[in-house]
Amino acid sequence: MAESNGVQAAVDIPADKAEILARPLEERDDIVVCENVHKWFGDFCAVRDVSMRVKRGEVVVIFGPSGSGKSTFIRMINRLEEHQQGRIVIDGIEMTNDVRNLDAIRREVGMVFQQFNLFPHITVLGNITLAPQRVRHLPRSDAEALAMRLLERVGIPEQAQKYPAELSGGQQQRVAIARALAMQPQIMLFDEPTSALDPEMIKEVLDAMRELAATGMTMLCVTHEMGFAREVADRMAFFDEGALVELGPPDQIFNNPQEDRTKLFLDQIL
Amino acid sequence: MTARAAPAPLPPATTVGLQGWLRQNLFGSWGNSVVTVVVAVVLAWFLVNLGSWVLVEADWTVIISRAPLYIVGLYPYEGYWRLCVCLLLISVLLGMSWRAWPGPARRFAFAFGAVMLFVGVFPHEMAPEHRALLLLNLPFIGLGYVLTPRPAEAHSGRLEAMAGGALPPALERVAIFSTPRRMVIAAFVALVLIMILILGIAGVPGLDPVNPQDLGGLMINLLLAFFGIVCSLPIGIGLALGRRSSLPILKVACVIFIEVIRGVPLITLLFMSRHILPLTFPEELNIDRVYLAGITITIFSSAYMAENVRGGMAAVQTGQTEAAQALGLRGWQTTLLITLPQGLRNIIPAIVGQFISLFKDTSLVYFIGMLDLVEMGRVSVQGNQEFIDNGREVYLFIALVFWVFCFSMSFISRRIEGALGVGRR
Ligand SMILES: Nc1ncnc2c1ncn2[C@@H]1O[C@H](COP(=O)(O)OP(=O)(O)OP(=O)(O)O)[C@@H](O)[C@H]1O
Ligand SMILES: [Mg+2]
Repeated sequence: MAESNGVQAAVDIPADKAEILARPLEERDDIVVCENVHKWFGDFCAVRDVSMRVKRGEVVVIFGPSGSGKSTFIRMINRLEEHQQGRIVIDGIEMTNDVRNLDAIRREVGMVFQQFNLFPHITVLGNITLAPQRVRHLPRSDAEALAMRLLERVGIPEQAQKYPAELSGGQQQRVAIARALAMQPQIMLFDEPTSALDPEMIKEVLDAMRELAATGMTMLCVTHEMGFAREVADRMAFFDEGALVELGPPDQIFNNPQEDRTKLFLDQIL
Repeated sequence: MTARAAPAPLPPATTVGLQGWLRQNLFGSWGNSVVTVVVAVVLAWFLVNLGSWVLVEADWTVIISRAPLYIVGLYPYEGYWRLCVCLLLISVLLGMSWRAWPGPARRFAFAFGAVMLFVGVFPHEMAPEHRALLLLNLPFIGLGYVLTPRPAEAHSGRLEAMAGGALPPALERVAIFSTPRRMVIAAFVALVLIMILILGIAGVPGLDPVNPQDLGGLMINLLLAFFGIVCSLPIGIGLALGRRSSLPILKVACVIFIEVIRGVPLITLLFMSRHILPLTFPEELNIDRVYLAGITITIFSSAYMAENVRGGMAAVQTGQTEAAQALGLRGWQTTLLITLPQGLRNIIPAIVGQFISLFKDTSLVYFIGMLDLVEMGRVSVQGNQEFIDNGREVYLFIALVFWVFCFSMSFISRRIEGALGVGRR
């Protein structure tokens, strides 16, 4: 078992999935299906009529003005928010109130938050091994070996015994990525993973995400790092006022936006 | 030759030093100066009077001659050595905490050792074996220290030089309190031993049972407060979790319990426990009033503890539960592994505060006929022609004892707050 192989081994890609990933995007199956999804907070409609299909291994960058429902949308994909109308299917599992479906979906989907949300009372290693031990019932030694491989992958194996408060923001966010990967999810959600970071730390987190995308992970990233989007995204989704306004490859979004609102917003932030 | 930077300008003399401080804080304006002078005069008058009474007029023989009453009540003299052994056990625990958690615990261990040293060498009537046992506390603190390895963090290779520093390898090997779990077990075993030593066991030579009603003095205040807090912690956690639960009946039951207990003064509860509860229990079930008081104080304290715990858990950021959910943890796992531990960490200072107020409240047990420190003070004055005029000395002494305990505990609590970085994420 070569050490260099540990990186790949950390996120198992079963043979059938590997075969799928070898195909071009258009020929892969849809791992995330959203049809006419709505979400209200009281009377306020935060997400309206969003339909989107994401292919296995695809990277979708979601962007748009503040309050446009980006976070609400991706939080519905692992049911941190409940959708109230429409249909969401994750890797063939229908999102319903059934607890078994919910457990299965949470196992498929990992999430990284803007504020890291590491558990401050346990060490970095404990943060990463907690869910594998408690949810996947891995033996402690296996969970720790997995955690160390993931920490190596995000470049901070030497921080394993520290507490989150002793790490820089960039390091904390990389731990959060490792923590989510330890559940070996099929899909990763990122909600503005670099917005709380100082500029010099943004790159280290984006590098970890780039590397993850290269392994064929399906990713939905809310981010305004347009350089990252241009380079890594397969498609980009522009949200405004709760609606999915435009969805297309970066080339189209940057060079030839089909909607005026997309163009207007990009002009403001670029 | 490097060019020297021009020296930084000095601040104006009126803002620095003693003079500057006085000027800024006490004599900043006319009004301020007047207040300063008036307060200073009143304070000086008070202190001079009190000081001359304390040093000249007061007769402190009552304190010295009745010291055992104040400290242990009517506890039988033959059993004093058992109490001394309890102190030794406490010393070991203190040494252990000092090593494991140097910031907050070191001063406490120092203070405890200093008190033991003082009492051990103070020239008054005391059996030499008791003196010896008291002085043994100093080496026992060292023993607890040695039996504990370097702070847990040091094992990870960082902060190697921190705090206690390294011990010689031979000593590291005897370090038996090597994990938090072992420390908790050690503390638990020590507490059980302390209870056995204090109360005795029938049939074991040397450990003759002591009538619980003979427990008294400062000891009973401390015991009631300590066991009240320790036992109310799990009950309070249970109540707090019940109050947060989504089962309506459980929730309502917990809310009613908490609010009823919090709405009734402790003294009423004590009175009810002594005079009303026995009416509803079968005759044979004759619980000693000491235990009744202990149970009542625990119940009283657990209602407040529940509210503390609830507050501590509510202060945990929602991001924490979201992250746990996103990882697939179940609701109860999230509560037990994430919210509760962080919530408890948040309220450690509040628990110390509650201990302080409970400690003061235990003086109410004289209402149900127990011989706590305050009651022993009253008895020693009123029950004795010789000391009938010494009430002032006695109550001043008692006030001082309570104050020293409460002040040192709140001092430690602040240290703990600092060490925990409360408010830090
Ligand atoms: N729990 C909630 N209760 C009520 N309103 C909410 C709640 N969460 C979000 N909203 C509202 O829904 C709208 C969409 O919020 P959302 O957080 O999804 O926006 P966003 O696109 O992620 O914005 P940002 O870029 O600022 O993160 C906002 O107007 C917000 O005020
Ligand atoms: Mg957002």
